[in-house]
Amino acid sequence: MRNRLGASSTALGVVLAMGLFAPTFVAAQSSAGAAKTDAKTAAKTDTNAAAKTKAWVMPRMADGHPDFSGYWNMLSFAPLERPAKYGNREFLTAKEMEDVFKSGVRGSYDPGPPGSEDRFGGELFNPDSADYDATTYGLSPWQNGVKPNPRTSLVVDPPDGRIPPLTPEAEAKAKARQGGAVSYDTARDLGQGTGCIFQSGGPPLTPAQYNSGLFIAQNPGYVVIETETGSEFRIIPLDGSPHPSVKIHKWHGDSRGHWEGDTLVVETTNFRPDRTYRNGDPNTQKIIEYFKRTDEDKIEYKFTVDDPSTWTKPWSAIIPMSATTGPIFEADCSENNYAAVNILAGARRAEREAKAPVSQK
Amino acid sequence: MRRHLRDVMIGFVTVAGAMFFPMAVRPMAGQTPAAAVKVPTPGQFPPYKAPRTADGKPDFNGILQALVTANLDVQDHDAQPGPHPEIMGAYDAWPGGQGIVEGGEIPYRPEALAQKKANAEKRMVVNITSDPRRHDTGDPELKCYMAGVPRANYMPFPFQIVQTPNVIMIGYEYARALRKIYMNPNDKDIPKEAPADSWMGWSHGRFEGDTLVVDSTGFVPYTWFDRAGNYHSDGLHVVERYTLVSPYHILYEATIEDSKVFTRPWKMSFPLYRRMEKNVQLVDFNCTEFVLDLLYGQYSKYPSK
Repeated sequence: MRNRLGASSTALGVVLAMGLFAPTFVAAQSSAGAAKTDAKTAAKTDTNAAAKTKAWVMPRMADGHPDFSGYWNMLSFAPLERPAKYGNREFLTAKEMEDVFKSGVRGSYDPGPPGSEDRFGGELFNPDSADYDATTYGLSPWQNGVKPNPRTSLVVDPPDGRIPPLTPEAEAKAKARQGGAVSYDTARDLGQGTGCIFQSGGPPLTPAQYNSGLFIAQNPGYVVIETETGSEFRIIPLDGSPHPSVKIHKWHGDSRGHWEGDTLVVETTNFRPDRTYRNGDPNTQKIIEYFKRTDEDKIEYKFTVDDPSTWTKPWSAIIPMSATTGPIFEADCSENNYAAVNILAGARRAEREAKAPVSQK
Repeated sequence: MRRHLRDVMIGFVTVAGAMFFPMAVRPMAGQTPAAAVKVPTPGQFPPYKAPRTADGKPDFNGILQALVTANLDVQDHDAQPGPHPEIMGAYDAWPGGQGIVEGGEIPYRPEALAQKKANAEKRMVVNITSDPRRHDTGDPELKCYMAGVPRANYMPFPFQIVQTPNVIMIGYEYARALRKIYMNPNDKDIPKEAPADSWMGWSHGRFEGDTLVVDSTGFVPYTWFDRAGNYHSDGLHVVERYTLVSPYHILYEATIEDSKVFTRPWKMSFPLYRRMEKNVQLVDFNCTEFVLDLLYGQYSKYPSK
């Protein structure tokens, strides 16, 4: 990742590097502060249904299956897990959706103090950092393509919108991962993001603060999904060929697709032990994705996480995708990794000057 | 009348017998008779009509790989020991091979040839700093940087072509590079000129018969053509021709034009082979994780050098 702030802003570089590459970032809570509860169940809000006067025709490939080709963006201010105040309510009211969006936009430019309703990105922004310009890195709403989202959360199953509990063995692994100071001894300590080893694309596909774009190209035999951050790509065969044996591991796992009616269903296994979704178990994790084009400019993307060693039951999330414009530019991450140079060089200098390197909780 | 009919019958049977007799004594089904198929001659492909996609274009879908050793040197070269034979022995020795440059010579400008020789001498140098001029140290392949064009097509790794009406995607196993060949000249989203420089270039494509022609510019000047130090500037312009010449081969040609480095355009060509293993697919070669110490070891708390 480029460090456009120069070598002198080591501390900010450290904070940004650690924060921006949090593995499961999704746009922040919309309700950090006080919220009014509404006893009544809100009406289901569907931004599409309202004024669709002409019938939309699904674009199809030559073999009759739907065509998802094009550029899409999946960023919204909906949190991954549902804030408790919504209970089992899946959708916001129209007014709530507008408020969430406005609050998120405000927060993009001025995160506000912790606990503020306008806080965008939650703890990802260091409240002590000076005047972080949202237009840097394309974080401002007009650059990052963020759209209003009628959902209270991305997680839709379990019905309370919250990820199921971890299994006891997964709990034990999580505890073992905790503690220990972050170190900057070698490039390996920088993690996969800052190390330009793994940038995006999952599966599942998840949005980030910026560069949440993706490009889909497909023919009857293959679907190619390119995700903007890092120009990562998956080539998904639709020919019914089998997954390779468990001896083959891939950074994006091994994906195989098939059609169920007009829904593209993609199953992915064969994950590497050091790259599973949310620290899952590579031996048991299976991600199932469902792509359904609901309009000219909308894809409903749903994913199910099936990992019985890690979560007590499968869980699912829906992330709306909106059409956007291309092209997507090549990301030459490792070829220009000034961040790695500057973070490590800065840590060495701090040590030479007999200060401890800046560490992150 | 009866005799006339008999004569007709005799004539008929004779002619029919003459026609069908060879078939009666022909070899078992599957073997061709007199005109036997010959062992192919290297460099020659009999006329071939390639299959078409649903939209009527020649079908380039598939997984391909080069078998030449051009990644080491695009010109003729002998085998040689690798960089550390005292540890690696034959594991890392470099095979010899015949070159892929048509005519054999690369037409360097005299001052540019000196740079090529300097490149070869410094190909293993790695000195990553915050200075954007650091890219002129060493062969980018050593650092797992993207291979550029056309080198990505003759790296010893497979790549996959996925062809769609508006774009042809080429995914490379080596360093997981991705090329997008834009095929629709009327797509308003896609500028004609490269909007930004890149390692894999900005490519527009079109079909000429069974040939896919790809025109690429917008390259950064940091890729090399091989480990021998053959290189280019930011003025690089590559025109590739992919021609379906058999069910299992694509003839690949790349014309290199770069007036800052070469006195005239020059051309490389070789066949690409269709990978035919059952259920063949690309696997990962995300070599970035293998070069972390090489790139950043000098900043490590425990310097390895």
